[in-house]
Amino acid sequence: MTTQFKVLERNYPRVDAYEKVTGRATYASDVYLPGMLACKLLPSTRSHARIVRLDTSKAASHPGVRCVVTGTDFPDFRFGSGALRDRYVMPREVVNFVGEPIAAVAADDEAAAQEAIELIEVEYEDLPAVVNPLSAIGSGAATVHPELENYEGYGFTLGHNVSTLLDADRGDVDQAFRDADVVVEDVYRSQGINQGFLEPMACVADVEPNGRLVIYASTQGPYQIRAALASVLEIPVSRIRVVAMELGGGFGAKLRLAFEAFPALLAMKTGRPVKLVNTREEVFTMNGPRLPVTNYIRSGVMQDGTIVAREAYTIFDVGAYLGAGPNSGIGHGIGAYRVPNFRLRSYGVYTNKIYVGSYRASGVADMTFAVESHMDRIAHELGIDPYDLRVKNALREGDVSVSGAVVPTNGLMNTLEAIREKIDWPRDLEDGHGVGLALCEWRSGSGPSTAAISVNDDGTVSLLTGSVDISGSDTSLAAIAAEALGIPMENVVVSKRDTDQAPYTGQSGGSRIVYSQGTAVQRAAENTVEKLTALAAERLGLPEDALGCEDGRIYVMDNEPQGLTFAQLAAASITSRGGPIIGTASLSSMPYTPVFAAQAAEVKVDRATGQVKVLRYIQAQDVGTAINPMAVEGQLDGGVVQGIGRALTEDQQFDPETGAVRNPSFASYLMPLAIDLPELENVLINVPAPDGPFGARAVAEPPGFGPPAAIANAVYDAVGVRIKELPLSGERVLAALNGQNAEIDFDVDALRRAEGVAAD
Amino acid sequence: MARFDYLEPHSLDEALGMLEKHGARARLVAGSTDFLVRWRTGVWRPEIVVCMQHVPGLDGLQFNDDDGLSIGAMVTVQDIEQNDIVRTRYPALAAGATAFAGVQVRNLATAVGNVCNASPAGDTLPALLAYDAQCRIVNSNGERWAPLTEVFVGPGQTAVGAGEIMTELRLPTPPPNSGGLYIKHSPRGAMDISAVGAASVMSLASDGTCASVRIALGAVAPTPIRAFGAEGRLIGQVPTDENIAESARLAAQSSRPIADVRSGAEYRREIAQVLTERTLRHAALTALGDVPDFDDVRRLAVQTAW
Repeated sequence: MTTQFKVLERNYPRVDAYEKVTGRATYASDVYLPGMLACKLLPSTRSHARIVRLDTSKAASHPGVRCVVTGTDFPDFRFGSGALRDRYVMPREVVNFVGEPIAAVAADDEAAAQEAIELIEVEYEDLPAVVNPLSAIGSGAATVHPELENYEGYGFTLGHNVSTLLDADRGDVDQAFRDADVVVEDVYRSQGINQGFLEPMACVADVEPNGRLVIYASTQGPYQIRAALASVLEIPVSRIRVVAMELGGGFGAKLRLAFEAFPALLAMKTGRPVKLVNTREEVFTMNGPRLPVTNYIRSGVMQDGTIVAREAYTIFDVGAYLGAGPNSGIGHGIGAYRVPNFRLRSYGVYTNKIYVGSYRASGVADMTFAVESHMDRIAHELGIDPYDLRVKNALREGDVSVSGAVVPTNGLMNTLEAIREKIDWPRDLEDGHGVGLALCEWRSGSGPSTAAISVNDDGTVSLLTGSVDISGSDTSLAAIAAEALGIPMENVVVSKRDTDQAPYTGQSGGSRIVYSQGTAVQRAAENTVEKLTALAAERLGLPEDALGCEDGRIYVMDNEPQGLTFAQLAAASITSRGGPIIGTASLSSMPYTPVFAAQAAEVKVDRATGQVKVLRYIQAQDVGTAINPMAVEGQLDGGVVQGIGRALTEDQQFDPETGAVRNPSFASYLMPLAIDLPELENVLINVPAPDGPFGARAVAEPPGFGPPAAIANAVYDAVGVRIKELPLSGERVLAALNGQNAEIDFDVDALRRAEGVAAD
Repeated sequence: MARFDYLEPHSLDEALGMLEKHGARARLVAGSTDFLVRWRTGVWRPEIVVCMQHVPGLDGLQFNDDDGLSIGAMVTVQDIEQNDIVRTRYPALAAGATAFAGVQVRNLATAVGNVCNASPAGDTLPALLAYDAQCRIVNSNGERWAPLTEVFVGPGQTAVGAGEIMTELRLPTPPPNSGGLYIKHSPRGAMDISAVGAASVMSLASDGTCASVRIALGAVAPTPIRAFGAEGRLIGQVPTDENIAESARLAAQSSRPIADVRSGAEYRREIAQVLTERTLRHAALTALGDVPDFDDVRRLAVQTAW
């Protein structure tokens, strides 16, 4: 590959490769402090109940037990993940889902803590509960939060058990539907999904002699945890230090406060360090997964395939608390297409289930399954090739996105073309084999980003950011710094995160690290070069514009051999007017930069069992400049694997009566294994982003969006049945082959009536 | 994670003595792959765990034409999967072993443990039934032999009494001109519990009719079951597509599946029929032919690979 860059667009191993492969990287559960206690939690056994009696006396006097806390030991303060504060860190009077922690024990060892947990006596008074979000929204259903209207941050009163309603409108939707040649209407349902990260949540809380709280955490957002802890414990942010340990996977599940407050309070009460390492069952039953999504989608289309109107009503089950909520879902009701008239609604509906969490662009995979399946339905209704339909309606540069931003230059058409070539579309296949497409869209993540670079005595630099490393992001940040400074990768030392030491930054998530944080790093590097140049100018007695920067030195442009190395400048800086050299940069947001990907699945379907096997999976994504192509492909592969799991086997099931998680283990929640996967083929399209470091776009989220729809479309192509509910299990496909493909019940008119939209 | 005392007997007599002394408070373990999961989740809370790992003489996997295959209590599923005699003479058992969990678990788990755990979904069990396994059970009075069909009493329940230890499985030598296969149906290609499993073993007479056949099903009843009615439909008949289909239909009829987190009951019944049909066809096809390549058997044994 030819490249204009000195560092970028090359494959290089991760900066932490040696620590990881030798097992010496330290995770939160590897933290051992003298006198450390073990923490265990007591889960609620009821879906909705008043705690009548919670007697911890036997537990407290159990040998080895040092402290027991319950909800009333915490300040009387409701917090929330977003604006709406709907949740106590530990329930004080009422439990809202099976699994909700209601007491925590600290003891000398885990066994004693667990024994004490079992000695806690609880008496409940059951309250009416509701599990199904579609019935929860009806006025006759039980109320999850009777006090909802009094909660801080509650914004509106539209609908029973509705926590949030997001909307987006454009044009005259009803008129456009009347003018359309054909109207296509569908309901899709996607299942509950666990993030499936390898490292369970873990943290160690310690109190320093001066009374400051230190939290060693497995987290994607150390500053966000610090802020949340300060709220729920009612102590100033400045009295808390969060050390972000190595992260063994998060995918959004570790963006927010999890259980850190429990060991924190226990440590404050006992004066001893307290460690909590959750079991896998606790991860499944206590920490927010994605919950089922039901999607009503309707399009008005002209005979030539032009989409003129779109309506989408989406019910996001948010469980007991808003958690991550519907967040990213809303804008994706039109997908990567020009739709002149639309009405999009996303309801977040409370139920007595575990609260909803984040997962790799929460909600967008659900929306993409609906939108991209629906696109194929439109194509087949009109007798148009599904590929041609997508090309016809795809967004172009200069179009206006859902949010109103103008779409800048992008590689969407290139991704479609690359996929077409790879699969040789359209293709005739043998019986039982099929090919399906999906188009994915996302935007490069924004949010507060900072970086500081200091020049070391030997001419190397230390890079300090507050971003937690995910998927090798530290390596990419080091590469960006090296490129901008004109030094080799190995001359960049990446510091670990600690809220006392690193500057404030947003969470590691939402495809924002390389794009936004990387921009901060690039600017900090440029700032460093400016300062080095100024110092060199001072020492050489030359104007700054006479100097250039390359290969770790500032040189005189008219006389290249003359110059000063970074090491010489670092030494000189000690006694210079400006002092030691530190370059910094801060930014709050970045311009709208879309990311597009086209994907294709080739499957075969066993007609006798309904089982679907993916034979090939191909994706082409416009990643802009690939900072580290090997890491980019890792992101693409990982996302598609998660998407294939979502399409075929992963299914977080809930008891229809109690809402309890029915399959809280990896033995029953089935993520795909290597044996289940086809060869994954990636095509990297490079249309450099107008903004972003050296033209890089975000990479992480879109790969996981496409597989459910691409595979469902391929199944249709193979055997002629349209599956509208995930996962595409053998059972579901066989039922459809046997003509028992039930439509999903969805009363869209009731929702339209509730907001006064006339149903036609 | 309840505490327990861990005992390691070094002879069968010592093990029997420990079981006698501690009675229902003790649990016997071999590979511990089932035990650890259930102990960690609190389902099993024994006060004493007696581990058979160091009892000598239980790791034999031997075959001779007169006695058939002998599988000692400490023989692992991986030992069976890797064994050439098993692969050639007991192909359905080799298929059951290869469909079992994953390599790490197979390296610890034992076939006798799989029997004693008596999960309706145990992957070696339908093949063991189809090869008419006999179980050697010892107690302080001596030993007794019981056919495997009589050992399974209910989910997780066997006819192995308190104070008794199953030490060996014995599988008679299959008749000449026989073939067999086990197929597992599960959403995932490995490390998954069967939604349905089926094993068929068939031998052909010189006139091409079915001389003997045994069909066994897993995960479609409270225990692994033999489909006797389906077998009767084939004996003495030429295994034509039609006869095999009819036999498979009868096998599915004899199942009593439940619905759970893995699968609905009706789907299980439908799959039982499909798998029975496929295993019977394969058995008939290979009865007279060469022993199929084991990599092909691997692919056939796990349904997602079809």
